[in-house]
Amino acid sequence: MMVKCVIWDLDHTLLSGVYLESGPRHPLPDPAMAEVAATLRDRGIIHAIASRNPPEAAQYAARVTGLEFAAAECGWGRKSDAVRRIIADLGLAPDAIAFVDDDLYERAEVSRALPQVLVLSPEDMADAVGWPEFSPPAVTAEARRRNEMYAERRRREQEARAFAGSRHEFLRYCGTRVTIAPAAEADVPRLHELSVRTHQFNTSGEPVAEPELRRLVGSAEHQVTTVRLADRFGDDGLVGASVIRIGPDGIWTVTLLMMSCRAMGRGVIEALLAWLTRAAARGGAVALAVPCLVSPRNVPLRLALTSAGFRADPGHPPGQRPAVFSRGLSGPLPEVPDWVTAAEASAASREGTGP
Amino acid sequence: MSGGGEPEVTGELREILARATGREDLLGLSEQAPLFGDGVGLDSLTGTLLLREVHRRFGVDVAAEDLNLDALATLDTLATFITEHAPAGPGSGD
Repeated sequence: MMVKCVIWDLDHTLLSGVYLESGPRHPLPDPAMAEVAATLRDRGIIHAIASRNPPEAAQYAARVTGLEFAAAECGWGRKSDAVRRIIADLGLAPDAIAFVDDDLYERAEVSRALPQVLVLSPEDMADAVGWPEFSPPAVTAEARRRNEMYAERRRREQEARAFAGSRHEFLRYCGTRVTIAPAAEADVPRLHELSVRTHQFNTSGEPVAEPELRRLVGSAEHQVTTVRLADRFGDDGLVGASVIRIGPDGIWTVTLLMMSCRAMGRGVIEALLAWLTRAAARGGAVALAVPCLVSPRNVPLRLALTSAGFRADPGHPPGQRPAVFSRGLSGPLPEVPDWVTAAEASAASREGTGP
Repeated sequence: MSGGGEPEVTGELREILARATGREDLLGLSEQAPLFGDGVGLDSLTGTLLLREVHRRFGVDVAAEDLNLDALATLDTLATFITEHAPAGPGSGD
């Protein structure tokens, strides 16, 4: 499993001493850990803090390391609770998290409470930059901006909490813009990255290699479609994609559907499903099928499929074979949520504008 | 008339929905109102929050037992599903 976020302890881990016990001058960053953290940041891995210190310690650590932290939990409660709150706050799964702490007791406590989290000592962490868990396949434009995007997300969520109206009213205020376009060759590294990183919105659960994606982008029997997302808080770039196989029998099959969890709750999966049914109907299809390997992790995707009117054989046995969710294309099709402005772009019109 | 859902379950579901969506008007939601689409407008995020709370409070993992999530059609169908699938009280394990 690829690590998406490293949660750092501060005292004797990211810092070279104890923040509160170092007199008028706080400890400097630990040089080895600061270098590891900067390397991982450049690979698109985000950072967070869980520390038994006052909140100022997180600001201090950000200043002296030059790192941006997507979340910080400072306080004297259990470390596993801090880690849980960060996971919920960032919308990540526990197995996408590494936790680094010099204290054996804290590591044991987090390991016991959250067995899926990768728990490491600072010594482990010095080696970990070479491990596959910390080596994403491609460093895309989205990856380089990932820490910034989480900062934008934090501002969005702060405003959402302070917003007086309902969630739908807030989403309208956000001015969500979704752009749907055919995939171009230049999108392939990001598509591969999505296939590796997405779980909550992913029909296959299997990474797709770049040569295969390049073949699909160039194939006449397939349509590869990209989804880009932006709103008043920032530009999330390419957040999702689908691959349609055009069947000769009037049945179009979505062989792959994947979307970043950053897009969750923002109407993007709904906009894509609405577009897919319309594109299939326009192309003369009578039904659209979405084979989906059902897992506890992709429940959000099933919610979106159900909401868009897709159904699978309820007797489908759970296990290794995908359940085929499908719907007919006559009658009313699912709608794009009313707070989303969806635009279609051609691949050519987008070249050179970047994500 | 409502179906097989117990009134306490329905009431608690209204509270969960109101919190997940930020809409206090859902505290008065009709038992027959659709949860997807025009009624409550459940989406992948609010739906996930709802399912997580249902699992936590009633011990029923709707997603694991209902492939098409048909239980989420209305408040009434969800309450009925929970009542029918709720684990028996403590001490009566099988």
